[in-house]
Amino acid sequence: MYRQKYLFLTPGLIALVAIILFPLLFTIRVSFSGWDVYNPGLSWKGGQNFSRLMADSRYWAALGRLSVMAVGTVLIQYVLGFALALLVWRDVIARRFFRVLFLVPMMTTPVIMSVIWRTIFHESLGPLNPIIRGLGLPGVPWLSDPVWAFVAVMLVEIWQWTPFMFLLLLAGLLSLPSEPYLAARIDGAGPVRTFFSVTFPGLAAISVGAIVIRLIEASKILDTVYVMTSGGPGESTETASYYIYIRGLRDFQIGYSAALSIIYLVIMIVALTIIAKLLVRFLVRPAP
Amino acid sequence: MLEIHDLTHAEDGVTHLDHVSARLAPGTLTTILGRTGAGKTSLLRTIAGLLVPDSGEVSLDGQGWSRLPPWKRPTAMVTQQFINYPHLSTLDNVAFPLVRKGLRWPAARDSARAMLDRVGLSAMVGRRPSELSGGQQQRVAIARALVKQAPVLLLDEPFVNLDYKLREDLREELVDMLRNESGLIVLYASTEPREALSLGDRILLMAEGRLLDDGEPQQVFGAPATIEAARVISDPPINILPLTVGAHVAAGPFGAQDAGDLIRGLAPGEYRLGLRAADLRPGGRHVARVVLSEVSGSETVTHLDLAGFALVMHEKSVVTHPPGAEIAVDANLARGFIYGADGTLLRREAPHGQD
Repeated sequence: MYRQKYLFLTPGLIALVAIILFPLLFTIRVSFSGWDVYNPGLSWKGGQNFSRLMADSRYWAALGRLSVMAVGTVLIQYVLGFALALLVWRDVIARRFFRVLFLVPMMTTPVIMSVIWRTIFHESLGPLNPIIRGLGLPGVPWLSDPVWAFVAVMLVEIWQWTPFMFLLLLAGLLSLPSEPYLAARIDGAGPVRTFFSVTFPGLAAISVGAIVIRLIEASKILDTVYVMTSGGPGESTETASYYIYIRGLRDFQIGYSAALSIIYLVIMIVALTIIAKLLVRFLVRPAP
Repeated sequence: MLEIHDLTHAEDGVTHLDHVSARLAPGTLTTILGRTGAGKTSLLRTIAGLLVPDSGEVSLDGQGWSRLPPWKRPTAMVTQQFINYPHLSTLDNVAFPLVRKGLRWPAARDSARAMLDRVGLSAMVGRRPSELSGGQQQRVAIARALVKQAPVLLLDEPFVNLDYKLREDLREELVDMLRNESGLIVLYASTEPREALSLGDRILLMAEGRLLDDGEPQQVFGAPATIEAARVISDPPINILPLTVGAHVAAGPFGAQDAGDLIRGLAPGEYRLGLRAADLRPGGRHVARVVLSEVSGSETVTHLDLAGFALVMHEKSVVTHPPGAEIAVDANLARGFIYGADGTLLRREAPHGQD
């Protein structure tokens, strides 16, 4: 019976290998090949793709840009999500309505919403600049200026994914025990101190989970960039995944883009592991 | 002096506090005795500022607390639930109120360590509440309340969720600790008459948000002011019998002639006789049917049916009375309380404490 357990595990293991491990192993193999539009197939090029990418400043710049965009949007999403969750946590008028309203952006299709936002940000035809000018301010070159385009992509990401943070943090808030709040009030803690001493520590574990999940998702940002700016103006909004997309599916350098993907994956695993450990250390188990 | 003046609070049509007033002196331990829903917790929460009364005020030494939020009131509270901060160590839990009072963490931790030593948790300073037993968690809560050195300490049935033995031990420990705290005003809510009688310097008796009686334990127990008060403070339940005074004198199934001075001089009419369970005894000429007999420790409480009257008899020994059996009982009517038609105490025979 003991040996037969492997027999029962086999179907699951086969599915696991087929779904997860095979594509990964195949990508690694492709990354060592010179597969491109002229030479399709698994030819062996050794580490040439990897030495090429080490010198590819556009790739590293895209990774740097991605880091700023991912960390920036996720932090803002976290703060906004937390604020919105606190807003509708307790007894407020039309609480259920607001809870649903805040979730709407997450339920929309990213590509469609990116098109809508591109229209909103359109400098001459979009509705945003007339509103800004109506307030007496100069119009903003939303998608034609490198900095403003970067801001615009971040704004759409924040708009789209803040509800995810809101949802997780609201669930966390609703599951918090009420007793420590009673204790805090008796022990002399006002609302602000209670937030930092009871609410925030109570949500630390959920916060870490939500931030890490969002960082993983944000590090893959592609659709918003593709639709809104196509990485431009110039390369100002080009992220690592968008650059890999250009190399792989536009230039058809499959071998090279596989190498980019593998290095990207390794960097992400290392970076997110370090971030998760730091968050756990500083948020979940504060030093006494 | 803590003054509770005419507190009223109702919610969803239910009255939790109904014009409650009391004055509590420093250095006294007052028990608030009442059944579940009597308003004990509401009273304590109102004093702590956790509940806003519809009317009335709480003041300490003449300073009104109406405008003071709970975190600014000089009160400490221990509740039924083992309330602590789950993310903090035992030491930091106890240090927290001191830090809120303005102490720096090192000084607060020193005081907290000393307090944890007093409650016997010096070996647990680094543990989180979830790593402690229920009794230990409540010790942490007590330590957190005491370390604050607030002039008003509110204890809301602090041991009710603990097992009997632990409850007894912790209660004794707490009383010992409170003896060392001079000038403290302690309010201890309880549903158990025995606990209230043994603990407090004074008892506030409550039912349905109203203050039924207020006085020293012996006085409140020895002469319950109303039938309702007698019911609340009597454990086992007091027997309330109809008492007819006229040509035919009777207290329920008993002839009341042997009630002695208790009924002498009463005008003819209908009264109620309160008779404690301990004042019924086996033997005598009345035959009752046993409905239920419960042995608790070394005592026996027997529920009887005597000529259609439900009676409770308390014996200070372990006795077996099978349900349905017929036993002879007699009543010491001279130790009863006579209440008028409105339920207020008219007469009692002689002072007698808790048996």
